[in-house]
Amino acid sequence: MSDAIPLVLIIVPFFASLLCLLSRSTVCRSFIVIATAAMLAVSSLLLQGPLAPDAGLQWAGLIDPLIIGGDFLLLAIMFVLGCRYRHLLIVLLTLCQLGLLSFLEFFVFVEEQGHALWQVDGLSLTLVRVVCIVGGFICLHAIPYMQAHENHLLPARSRQPRFFAVLLLFLGAMNGLALTNDLAHFYFFFELTTLCSFLLIGHDRSEEATANALTALWMNGAGGLLLLLAVWGLFRQSAQLDMNGLVAAVAGNQAALLPLTLLMAAAFSKSAQLPWQRWLLGAMVAPAPVSALLHSSTMVKAGVYLALRFAPAFAGTLPARGLILAGGFTFVAAAALAISQRNAKKVLAYSTISNLGLIFACAGIGSPAALAAAVLLIIFHAVSKGLLFLCIGTAEQQVKSRDVEVLRGLCARMPLTGMVAVLAALTLVVPPFGMLLGKWLVFEAAADHFLFYLLLVLGSSLTLLFWVRLAGTLLASGELAGFRPEKQPFLSRFPLVALAGGAVLLALTAPLLHNRLLAPLSAQFAAGGSGVLSTAAGSFPLALLFAVAGCAGLLAMIGVSRAMAGRKGAAYLAGANAGLPGHFVGPMNRPVRAVAENSYLVPLFGEERWNLWVNLAAGGLLLFMLGGALWK
Amino acid sequence: MGFVARLIGKARRSSPWLLHFDCGSCNGCDIEILACLTPVYDLERFGVVNVGNPKHADILLVTGTVNQRNRQVLAVLFEQMAKPGVVVAIGACALSGGVFREAPNVLGGVDRVIPVDVYVPGCPARPEAIIDGVLLALEKFREKE
Amino acid sequence: MEVMLTAGLSLATLPVAILLGGLLSGIDRRLTARLQSRQGPPLSQPFFDVLKLLAKERVVTNPWQAFAPVTALGSAALALVLFAAQGDLLVILFVHLVGGVFLVLGALASGSPYSQIAGQRELWQMFCCETLLFLIAGGLYLSTGSFRVSGATGLPAPLLFRLPLLFAAFVFALTVKMRKSPFDLAGCQHAHQELVRGVYTEYVGPHLGLLEIAHWLEVVLYLAVGSLFWATGWGMVLLPLAAFLAVIVLDNIAARLTWRWMLGRGWGVAFVLAAVNLFWLKG
Repeated sequence: MSDAIPLVLIIVPFFASLLCLLSRSTVCRSFIVIATAAMLAVSSLLLQGPLAPDAGLQWAGLIDPLIIGGDFLLLAIMFVLGCRYRHLLIVLLTLCQLGLLSFLEFFVFVEEQGHALWQVDGLSLTLVRVVCIVGGFICLHAIPYMQAHENHLLPARSRQPRFFAVLLLFLGAMNGLALTNDLAHFYFFFELTTLCSFLLIGHDRSEEATANALTALWMNGAGGLLLLLAVWGLFRQSAQLDMNGLVAAVAGNQAALLPLTLLMAAAFSKSAQLPWQRWLLGAMVAPAPVSALLHSSTMVKAGVYLALRFAPAFAGTLPARGLILAGGFTFVAAAALAISQRNAKKVLAYSTISNLGLIFACAGIGSPAALAAAVLLIIFHAVSKGLLFLCIGTAEQQVKSRDVEVLRGLCARMPLTGMVAVLAALTLVVPPFGMLLGKWLVFEAAADHFLFYLLLVLGSSLTLLFWVRLAGTLLASGELAGFRPEKQPFLSRFPLVALAGGAVLLALTAPLLHNRLLAPLSAQFAAGGSGVLSTAAGSFPLALLFAVAGCAGLLAMIGVSRAMAGRKGAAYLAGANAGLPGHFVGPMNRPVRAVAENSYLVPLFGEERWNLWVNLAAGGLLLFMLGGALWK
Repeated sequence: MGFVARLIGKARRSSPWLLHFDCGSCNGCDIEILACLTPVYDLERFGVVNVGNPKHADILLVTGTVNQRNRQVLAVLFEQMAKPGVVVAIGACALSGGVFREAPNVLGGVDRVIPVDVYVPGCPARPEAIIDGVLLALEKFREKE
Repeated sequence: MEVMLTAGLSLATLPVAILLGGLLSGIDRRLTARLQSRQGPPLSQPFFDVLKLLAKERVVTNPWQAFAPVTALGSAALALVLFAAQGDLLVILFVHLVGGVFLVLGALASGSPYSQIAGQRELWQMFCCETLLFLIAGGLYLSTGSFRVSGATGLPAPLLFRLPLLFAAFVFALTVKMRKSPFDLAGCQHAHQELVRGVYTEYVGPHLGLLEIAHWLEVVLYLAVGSLFWATGWGMVLLPLAAFLAVIVLDNIAARLTWRWMLGRGWGVAFVLAAVNLFWLKG
């Protein structure tokens, strides 16, 4: 039974996607999406590793040709797209891939031995569950969101069928990417997510959307080409495509360093690491569910997944040290650039890039604690960041802006959405929530890497700064009102509330999560049963922190209710309060709103000032990695 | 009176935080108030702190005449003080409008707008008188309990 | 049994720390008065201030002003208890940050322009302190092989000799944390009228009182971190006390500077010093 689940996780979304494309009725489509999301969530929970090595091998003869056909179909589609939009770079990249792929499939991979089809371990299970559960919630949220989106844009013909078809197709592709054990199959799913990303970014068909979608396509296409080169190089070293076997076979092999570094470079482009960040920033033109699903929770995690998968073969080498620095640099630089952003979605995008950089650095360190930290970061980041994107998207539909200053005081206008956004932001920076647990593990793991430790300290301090600023801005209503949730469709509210609850509950069960998912990964790394995570250098008393946080929260809520029963005052405005909240008596006795905007420090942290230098530095670090691989 | 209540009373009398509002004084009284905080008189001996914020103040010191323009501000500042708080009017102008009381825009003393607990006369009021007024205001806390 | 004893002892540090924090604040005010040729308030003054505040009326403009003080106090108290239990310094620093986060959230939520501006500055002050303290934790790890506070105790030679530059960075962080000139940008003790009382402007009565206690505890926590630099004998008390007195003297002889200066010259120099010190340990 369990053997068939991986196949179900991939095939069901593909079929549901087809059905969505065919059905023109909204109710029918909503039903398909809800049913698929529920089925995926349940199946992903039922899936337990490890599977028998021969699980699903009986279908291998059917799957291989299908995937090879799919590969060529995908590249053909990309080629056509490149021609249609007259984008020379895409055409060239696609042609290179087509040539290389034909050569590999027909002349090189033929001598390949059979091997296990699926890979179900802590890492892939984590990714699959994030995709299916978080992704499922995001798909639910997308149903009312896209309805409102079309009511706003009013296209001649509803493009929702296509939207949901691509969304579901993407879920299947991500599941395939996480579960497959065949590097060639991995390449197919990798390219499929690229295409889905292109279609979804360009969904609104505005000029900007199309241009940004093309940027995403060529950057990810370049990543695909690098990946293909890496696959070739790895195959030359050990004559297999079995990912598990490859990691073991090429570990310590100096000649395999170059393809491994190429693999990391491909992962960088997929995860929008500096200097590839432009496509992810551009991708923010897409509707909010796309940003939540592809560009924060799941697709960009494909890159770090690849890096973590091959981290054991990579650890301790010179390029790995380069990877630590490149990841650390991205962590700091993206966080610093986020400080200058007024556009809420761009803040989220930069912070996503920044967090992924941290995960890459963990992959570079490669110690058990670092890998455990990386997995925890993937989980908690996916939940909290996906949630934040949904909140900002929901708010954006109401206030018609993503400017942080326009969203100021959101908690007064949309109490539920606003408070969930604040909670999500807090779960990213405040203990005892999960991100901090992950970050603590990174600190412990990083202490021996002096330069990275400096970057880590800087980056996490900057991260705290812009998250608290964003949360505070959303709260800054300055008015005292009871908490009355705004009206919104059930399918909008349910994912928000469920994910918010999930973010808190997941953090509570972090030690359990850790033991279940990572025990084999980190045998030397003792996780206590008493709610204390311990490493050689320190311990994290999670249960105690949660208990104290719970008590303090309860006491604080009592304080709040007592304060609400007492006198309410207006903010201090030098005594010139004009009666209206936040207004003072100005000239001609007219009320004037007292405005104090956030300091974004654009001259200090602005994109214009830093983009060139940041890209040069990040490019330099990539070259350092490649050079390190060649030189050794 | 229980121990806690007595302790709180003692704390209130030992920690008067002042807000000084100049309603439109000639600055004579204002200078004298600031003189109280200087080393010569050192009001901080009694725990006095000059806070710039009605929300933190226990004692509101008002100088100068109240007029149409600043009556609103005075009322808001008084309202924003957390209870218990006392008001001390300092100088002839704050007491009655002083030499300006006949001016068309002048309302008169501070007590036309907010209730005053202690009146400190003088033009300008001497620092000793102001200190005396503040200490008298502290006794008012006892009455307010 | 031993666990219970440790827990009990650690909890017992809380009242002691509150007393100590209030007393230090009293010493601070008294000393400052003396440096200005005044007599100053009695040493017990801070306790009366807080008691008075706690007994005042609750007034809020936004519920977060009631939420923040409790969390700030809770986080400072927990951080101190963890320190007394000789826990992981990283965890202690993470926990202690929560208080600052909620303090700023409450200030930003109020909608008052003074609190808004001060909240932004407070975030940069937190940034300054946070980075330097985490580097100190890094120094602790590099010299003892552990992030645990217990690693520093029982060393044959004081850490100060291995971490002199980190100690300089610590004094800078302490100045920022104690809200003393030249870095009293976001809410200082005395009425600097430009931002009223900065982040504290909208906290009234009991809420302000709780925040005051939380601030005492934070200062005590910082001094405790300072004591790690000389964790043997009397040095454990004398070194942080010297740092504390130095900060008060600095407060009285320095003018307030802008946040740009704090970030550029103050923090920049301190960060480089700390990094150089870490580099020595590494090399």
